[in-house]
Amino acid sequence: MAVQIVMDHNGDTRHVFDANNAKELARAEKRFRELTGAGFTAAVRTTSGDASVTRRFDPSAEETLFIPRLVGG
Amino acid sequence: MFERPLDVSAAWCRQFLTESSRWATALSDWFGEPGRAREARGLKLLKEWLSPEQLAQYEANGYFDVTGCDSGKRYRIRHGTGTNIYEMDNAGQTRAGWCFVPDESLVAADVVLAQKIALETNERGALAVANHFVLK
Repeated sequence: MAVQIVMDHNGDTRHVFDANNAKELARAEKRFRELTGAGFTAAVRTTSGDASVTRRFDPSAEETLFIPRLVGG
Repeated sequence: MFERPLDVSAAWCRQFLTESSRWATALSDWFGEPGRAREARGLKLLKEWLSPEQLAQYEANGYFDVTGCDSGKRYRIRHGTGTNIYEMDNAGQTRAGWCFVPDESLVAADVVLAQKIALETNERGALAVANHFVLK
């Protein structure tokens, strides 16, 4: 199972999906496009454990983290 | 003749204290417990995404260091929700303060994780929106 983690006021919200299920995969891709379109940054972890930003939906990513847009504090 | 009003008054006080206690518990559940749960969720996520070195540093000191992907500069991120990023010099002294945060209200652990990922993957972009703050 893969997971999309969205940072929000709840700490985070996790959307788990089966990447082998076409319907669930399509829903995950739609969520990816909606969130990145709304200004979220999508990050995945590489095999070495480093974070990497991705701009395209990767169906093989086991964990994708969505971070809200950054502003000056 | 005053016994009856005293009884009534004592009963009213007991009821008032019971009700107050119930309200206090309800308010604590509403504001306190979910807040702690949110913070715990954020902390779990942060710890999953920190490198082993960063995690050890964070657990020992409440901060961890990251390397900016563009400049190679070292930044120290302290647990917090703002004015918590310090640019370090080669001697390990703080030389500048930076502040950028997610535009949504997030728990401190989420803020810190967002700052870490930004500096490690898009340092220039993060500093472009950041504000300086004066070091004390």
